Amino acid sequence: MTEPLVPAADGSAAPPESTSESAARPAAEAAPTAAPAGRAGRNGSQPLLQIEHLKTYFPIFGGIFRRKVGSVYAVDDVSLEVKKGETLGLVGESGCGKTTLGRSVLRLTEPTAGRVVFDGIDVASLKGDSLKKIRARMQIVFQDPMSSLNPRMPISDIIGEGLLAQADKANGWAKRDVRDKRVGDSLESVGLRREYSRRYPHEFSGGQRQRIGIARALALQPDFIVCDEPVSALDVSIQSQVLNLLLDLREEFELTYLFIAHNLSVVEYVSDRVGVMYLGKLVELADVQMLYRDARHPYTIALLSAIPDPDPRVRKKRLVLKGDVPSPAAPPSGCHFHTRCWLREQLGNPENCATEDPPLREFAAGHLVACHWAEQVSTRTVATAAAQTPAVVTADLVDEEAELPPVAPLPGPTDALGPDSPQGPTGP
Amino acid sequence: MTEALAAPPRPSPAPEQPLLDVRGLKTYFHTLDGVVKAVDGVDFTLPRGGTIGIVGESGSGKSVTAYTLMRLIDIPPGEIAGGQALFEGRDLLTLPMGEMRRIRGNDIAMIFQEPMTSLNPVFTIGDQIAEAVKLHQRVNDREAMNRAIEALRLVGIAAPERRVKQYPHELSGGMRQRAMIAMALSCEPKLLIADEPTTALDVTIQAQILELIKAIQERTGAALILITHDLAVVAEVCQQIVVMYAGRVVESGLVTDVLLRPEHPYTQGLLNSMPSDKKRGERLTAIQGVVPSPFRLPPGCKFAPRCVYAWDRCQEEPELLASGDRLVRCWLQAPGETARRARFEADAAATVEALLNDEPEPGAAAESPPA
Repeated sequence: MTEPLVPAADGSAAPPESTSESAARPAAEAAPTAAPAGRAGRNGSQPLLQIEHLKTYFPIFGGIFRRKVGSVYAVDDVSLEVKKGETLGLVGESGCGKTTLGRSVLRLTEPTAGRVVFDGIDVASLKGDSLKKIRARMQIVFQDPMSSLNPRMPISDIIGEGLLAQADKANGWAKRDVRDKRVGDSLESVGLRREYSRRYPHEFSGGQRQRIGIARALALQPDFIVCDEPVSALDVSIQSQVLNLLLDLREEFELTYLFIAHNLSVVEYVSDRVGVMYLGKLVELADVQMLYRDARHPYTIALLSAIPDPDPRVRKKRLVLKGDVPSPAAPPSGCHFHTRCWLREQLGNPENCATEDPPLREFAAGHLVACHWAEQVSTRTVATAAAQTPAVVTADLVDEEAELPPVAPLPGPTDALGPDSPQGPTGP
Repeated sequence: MTEALAAPPRPSPAPEQPLLDVRGLKTYFHTLDGVVKAVDGVDFTLPRGGTIGIVGESGSGKSVTAYTLMRLIDIPPGEIAGGQALFEGRDLLTLPMGEMRRIRGNDIAMIFQEPMTSLNPVFTIGDQIAEAVKLHQRVNDREAMNRAIEALRLVGIAAPERRVKQYPHELSGGMRQRAMIAMALSCEPKLLIADEPTTALDVTIQAQILELIKAIQERTGAALILITHDLAVVAEVCQQIVVMYAGRVVESGLVTDVLLRPEHPYTQGLLNSMPSDKKRGERLTAIQGVVPSPFRLPPGCKFAPRCVYAWDRCQEEPELLASGDRLVRCWLQAPGETARRARFEADAAATVEALLNDEPEPGAAAESPPA
């Protein structure tokens, strides 16, 4: 039962030389609905982006001197690589650090530690001109098309701003007409008319604004785009239009995507490989089909079980997690997931879940899992857990109760508007 | 109307009477730029203890429908321009406000989309739930607080006697939504209207809340109107579905009929837009174009400009026609359009095929039309 844990923990999650392993993978798990030829061919290529032990912590200041009293461990030792031409999906619930990871890669948020190697260059150590140069090759599409476009700028300036920043003698982007031509091309490539460049953001619908956000990312002809929840603010019919656009652009410009989203069906649809994050850690990473069919981390399984099924004939028994995601400022000891883990409960709460942080180990070729007990996951254990899920799952976790205000006798006559202090025990 | 006023424990009406019967509902807004017909023809019937899902994209009028039923529309600029909403035989749209206030909370309760903005930040959760109880039932403060605690326990909040003293900001998003549900349930309503109850929540929390709503609905026997943009959520929770587009019902019926055999091109388009593993590597068949501006609605069928099946007959607006057990607003379903309908049905069958699980339940075979 206690499989010797492969000490593949650090970094070797994605060693740069392991092309042999990645080349073997697509052949091994060739599913019936194989990806079209154009995409399958790219999988074996060189990594474009390597993230090694990336940590991004945000300080918490407190007290009258605003001293640092703690940290939010937004991204906590994540290592992964993105191959040229592939789409790596990143899923997880809010607060799991997926957005921070995306921003740290571009250094929009400074990482606390770790390396980000883009095409052989360590991004984390770059400064000044060389950082600016590499940023032209890495772009981002933001989630909210309302707040990510400056309402006071016409589209030509919104898209042209990046060009202006990158202007030099060779490209001539300092001249407005040269720049505007590029802006127009960019707009056309996302299916908007060139003339729209004179308009302002408020003149567009949500879907069109997201297209503008994509056009801005494309204007500098990047190799790599971080798509941070690009469709979650959009309506269903518009969402599919934008997804189609992203797929078309990937083909046309040979783009590599880091696709961040919380909608698991969308991620399944666009990604080649998918990573699952929980409380700042990467807990599972695998080929999209492997992950959706044969997930091994108890959290991934619960996440997949939570997707509503559009088939009204099936009333599936869900495996519902209890409680909420704990605070990333005070993550649980050992495995961050152990407080909500159904597998641990079924195995009789083994000690090491609470004490030892499980390393991300290679469970099968190209399938990385950070769980001590991944071997115990089977259709039987999952079914048992689903069967044991009560109809009303409690919202609280046991250890969370400690932070609640103490029990006091019910307040006496309060007028409905008298807000008595929640913390202070109202004296009996 | 007056008898109902006089006798608080209402005599239970005839069993065949639906709990809520909405006919030809119309809600307009008079703005400086013109009249917005936000809801323009909504019909549905909800039996006692039934569940109905109203789906549509933003601007389709689904939320305005709910607000109209609760009479929460500001008049002016709003105007309830027509229709009836018979709740146990009484028309909600014409009741005096005082009586409507008694129905809200007691008989019909609503769960709003954004729990942070619909809870008052300066009062504790307990005070807010107890306030609702006291407004509607003759109980003292202590009893009201006990009811609040009970309601919180029912929605799966552990240690509710301590939680009642917390303020909304001290709770997580899922917990706040549970508190909203507890508040709605505190007076044991006969009808629960949930307006996008899980849209602001994460997937695992969404699963918790959906399971909770299902469990409570079964336990208390309350009827449910669930408003959402997610067809899959409706498939999970509801028996009936109403699909809305541009303020109108375009298709309604049993969930198992409508989702497995859509008869309106818009319903089919929504199903087509949903990504699934079978569609990996292909483009999604997106609905062309965008929802029309409410100031410039097209003449005739409102969906025609985006519809791939539209032809000249669609210049005229179709009525909501009965088609078997369901209602459809589309000329394709009119008598005599057999050839066009056959083409659409073949496409629709392929759409459903690409979305569903591979192994259908035994006995659910007789649904695919001849392709």
